[in-house]
Amino acid sequence: MPLGSLDRTPPPFFKQGTSALTKLVFFSALSSGLMFADQHYNIVQPARWALSLIVYPVQWMALRPKVLWDHVDDVFESKQESLNAAEQARAKLLTQAVSASQVEQLKLENDHLRRLLELKQRNPTLAMAAEVIYEAADPFTRKMILDKGAAQGIQNSSPVMDDQGILGQVTRVHPLVSEITLVTDREHSIPVLNTRTGARGVAFGESGGAPLLELRYMATNADIEEGDVLTTSGVDGVYPPGIPVAKVVKIERRADSVFARILCESLARVQGARHVMVLEPVKLSLPGFKELPPPPQPNAKGSR
Amino acid sequence: MMIMPRGHQLLLPVSPLFMLITMVIALLLDMLQSMAWLGNAAWAPDWLALVLVFWAIHQPLKVGVGVAFMLGLLTDVHQTSLLGQHALTYTVQGYLATMIHRRILWFDVPSQALQVLPVFMAAQLLELSVRIAAGGLFPGWFFLVPPLLQALAWPVVTVMLLAPQRRAPDPDKHRPL
Repeated sequence: MPLGSLDRTPPPFFKQGTSALTKLVFFSALSSGLMFADQHYNIVQPARWALSLIVYPVQWMALRPKVLWDHVDDVFESKQESLNAAEQARAKLLTQAVSASQVEQLKLENDHLRRLLELKQRNPTLAMAAEVIYEAADPFTRKMILDKGAAQGIQNSSPVMDDQGILGQVTRVHPLVSEITLVTDREHSIPVLNTRTGARGVAFGESGGAPLLELRYMATNADIEEGDVLTTSGVDGVYPPGIPVAKVVKIERRADSVFARILCESLARVQGARHVMVLEPVKLSLPGFKELPPPPQPNAKGSR
Repeated sequence: MMIMPRGHQLLLPVSPLFMLITMVIALLLDMLQSMAWLGNAAWAPDWLALVLVFWAIHQPLKVGVGVAFMLGLLTDVHQTSLLGQHALTYTVQGYLATMIHRRILWFDVPSQALQVLPVFMAAQLLELSVRIAAGGLFPGWFFLVPPLLQALAWPVVTVMLLAPQRRAPDPDKHRPL
C-alpha cells in the first residue's frame, strides 16, 4: 500500500507479481533490441506505422492551440505589414517578369538544340505541395514533419524543396504524415555543383551545433570563394539538377590538412519553412530505370 | 494500524482514471511544447517523465516499469527518435522510482525534489550516451537542463496531482469538495 493513502484493498502479501528488477531487465532488453533493429534493419517500420496511428489523434489535439494562434495572428496582422508584403511581392514579380518572358523563347531554342543533338528530352518533374506541421522534437537530429503521407502518395527518398532551394529528403513515410531529413542533418549528404567554377563535390550536414552544411573532400588549393552558390548536380539520381542548395560562408585552409574545411549556409529555410514542394525522385522518371526485382521469396511449405 | 510520517494527512484512494488523464495531459503538453513552441530545443523539459516518476513513487502498484515502457514507445514515435530510446529511459526511470518509493515519501517535498533529480539526470545521461553511440549529433550542454527543471517542478506537481486525494472524505455543506 502506498504510504499514507487510504486504499480500500490491502496490498497482496504473497502474490506480488513480477519483481521490478525482472521487469527492468526484460523491458531494457526489449527496447535495446528495438533500437538495434531500428538502427540497422528496416523491420520495425510496421510497428512505427501502427504506433503513429495511435499517436496521431493526440498530436492533432496538441496542434489545435497552435492552429488557433496562427489564425488569430493572421487576422490581426497589421495593415502596414500586409502592404509591405504586397510591395515586396510586386518588386519580386517585376524582376522575375524579365526572365520569365525569356523562358518561352529559351525553352523553344533548347528543344531545337536538343533535337539537333538527339539528346533525350528531359522529363518534367512531378511535384506535390505540402505543409510543414512541426519540427521533430528529437534534439539529436534535424527533421521536419509534413502533413502528407503514404495516403496522399508521398514516396520515400523524394527530394523536398521550398521556394529558396533544397530543404531535404523524405526519409520515412507514415500513413498520414511523412518525415523529411534536412540537408543540415549530420547523416545527410547531397552531391553539389559550384555554379561559378563547375566543380562537383558532396555537401554533408555539419556535425556541430549550428545548422550548416560542410563541403568535404575539397583540396586546400581548390578554387572556391566565400559567396559561391552550390546547386544540385543531379549525379545521384535523387535530386533534379540545378536547384540551389547552399552558399559558402566560411573557408578554413589549414596547413596540416589536405582538405579545406568549407562551411555553407543552406539557402532553403531549414529553421522556419512552412510551404514546401515534394518532388519525384529523378531516377523514377529516367527512361532507362527499372525497379530492381524483388528478392526471391523462400519457398513456402507445401508449394512445389 | 498504519505507519506514516507524523503530521501527514491520510490521503483518499487514487482514481485510476485521474492517473490516466494526467499522463495523457503530460503527453499533450510535451507535444504542444515541441510542435508549437520550442521545436527541438535541447533544454525542453519532459513533463511526461515527471508525471510518470511521480505516479511510480506514489502509486507503485499501479504505475511501474511496464506503463513507462509503453509511454516511452509513444514518445519515440512522436519525436521520430530511435524507436526504443525513450522506452529504455522511461523504463529505467520507472525502475529507479519504484526502488526509492518506500524511502522518499518520509521526506518533505523540497527534499523529495532533490532526491528525484538523480533519477532524471541518470535517464538523461543514458539517453545522451545511447544516441551518441548510435551516431547522433551532440545537442549541446543545454541538454542537461531538463532534469533540473523537472526537479524544480516537483513541488508544483505534488500539489496538483495530490489535490484530488486531499479532499474531505465526508463532504458536507462547509466542505463541498
